[in-house]
Amino acid sequence: MYTPFDFNEAIAQRKEYIEEHLREGSPVVGLTYDSGLLLLTVRRSQRKVYEIYDRQMFSAIGNQSDIETVRLSSIQIAHQEGFERSPDDVSVHRLVGFAISPALKKAFGDQFTVPFVIRALFAELGRTPGMDTFFTLNYDGEFREYSGAAAIAGTQAAEDRMLERIGEPSPTWTRQEAIQKALSAWSVGAREALRRQISGQREEEEELNPFRDIDEAEADAVFLRDELKTGTVEVGLLERRANRESRFRLLSPADLEPLIRDYR
Amino acid sequence: MELAGDFWSLLEKSGHPITHPVAASPARPNDSHIGPGVGAGAGVVDTHGTTVIAVKFNQGVLNVGDRRATANFAVMYDKAEKVLPIDDYTLLAISGSFARAMEVVRYLRTTFKFFERTYLQPMSLDGKLAELAKVVRAGIPEALQGIGGFIPIMTTFDRESNEGRIFFYDGMGARFESTEFGAAGSGSLQIRGVFDYIVKTKKPFHEMTREEALKEALYLLDIAADLDAATGGWAKVLPLAKTITAEGIEDVPEEELHAMVAEIDRSAGERIAPRPR
Repeated sequence: MYTPFDFNEAIAQRKEYIEEHLREGSPVVGLTYDSGLLLLTVRRSQRKVYEIYDRQMFSAIGNQSDIETVRLSSIQIAHQEGFERSPDDVSVHRLVGFAISPALKKAFGDQFTVPFVIRALFAELGRTPGMDTFFTLNYDGEFREYSGAAAIAGTQAAEDRMLERIGEPSPTWTRQEAIQKALSAWSVGAREALRRQISGQREEEEELNPFRDIDEAEADAVFLRDELKTGTVEVGLLERRANRESRFRLLSPADLEPLIRDYR
Repeated sequence: MELAGDFWSLLEKSGHPITHPVAASPARPNDSHIGPGVGAGAGVVDTHGTTVIAVKFNQGVLNVGDRRATANFAVMYDKAEKVLPIDDYTLLAISGSFARAMEVVRYLRTTFKFFERTYLQPMSLDGKLAELAKVVRAGIPEALQGIGGFIPIMTTFDRESNEGRIFFYDGMGARFESTEFGAAGSGSLQIRGVFDYIVKTKKPFHEMTREEALKEALYLLDIAADLDAATGGWAKVLPLAKTITAEGIEDVPEEELHAMVAEIDRSAGERIAPRPR
């Protein structure tokens, strides 16, 4: 007989299975800056930041096939809605809340379906910096809205650390400042996820260390230097004033080089 | 398994009218408030764009159009934009049914972006031309009943061969590439020979500077307005002119257009013979 206990246990098992797969995902940072917003990550192989629609972009960690499924569905829904109504009516809130999230929740709760292994970050460019929004979306359909800054990573603790590192985001940051902030947040998140894997104990000791912040900055630089030997920084932008058809663009290696030179 | 990334099939599934053109109802007494005989007996007001012209010049392609949209004998709108950007390097100049043309422009814009966002690469030029042929062809049932027919000219800057290119279509969706110029709309037939005359007596359009090509195109538009009852002149509203070069699409500034049409008007004025006494 199927009891409530079985349900709880089954859900917990699925959760554990997915979390295990997500843990090593390279974090993604979303930040607004004076003339747009950005998603930053460090990737090993294929692209991770994608354009969804005129003012929407997306990045995710998890199973590549699941990421593609969510990406394609988002593109289809956004374009159909934008064509049949107006591009102005396409919003991440509607996209995530009414289409993608219910589908993820259904797959997660259905014992006979393979759940999605994904944690996604959607970004939407508003007409003013104050109207920029981020949505994080979890494999179980849970989603949250953020303004100014948002992060996804392998663990909740890593995400908390990243937002803590960013602090109070400012709409007056230049793109360069925002990228520096995002890169620093990325490295703290990636380190946190890694540390949790190695030991839970060491972390407690570090909390007590009064020189933690000083050490952190140094440790971040060392960590980044090491990561960038094999990884590539990827930054997707949505620019408020673009004279191209598309507001989205990926920063080219040449654009990025001066910003990451310190870590070479 | 179905290959994702085709916006057309997505619209087909949702039954959008661009993929299922509504067949016009049989002829019935005219109930238009615009005037008699609108929409070839179907009783529907079908606003038409008049003349659009595309010519090459030494850095790309130039598109010029008057601003008039007519519904049979009525001027429906005199600030119509009939040269529309589809993407950063492609313009669609439209003539014929305004309603259908606008839907097609929206469709193409969305389709090109949809493809690029899905496949992470821009649609090829050939693919874009085929999409346009598809929507022209889908409008045939309507066009046969006298409404909804439209003829486009697609111009683009080909970044592979580094040159401007002009493609024109017939009502069935057949695509032709023109080496020098293209025109569509009610006044296009009247000026057809003038293009040839310019190429044969002056020089090919693709060797002209932007200014030379603009001047010839405006003369052509002026002749179309003279010889075609529907094409608008520039007495009230300036024509619309856009270029596509390696740098993308640009509007010809209004001041420049203004100066050039004034010059054409002046030279025309000088040629008018004084009235016999």
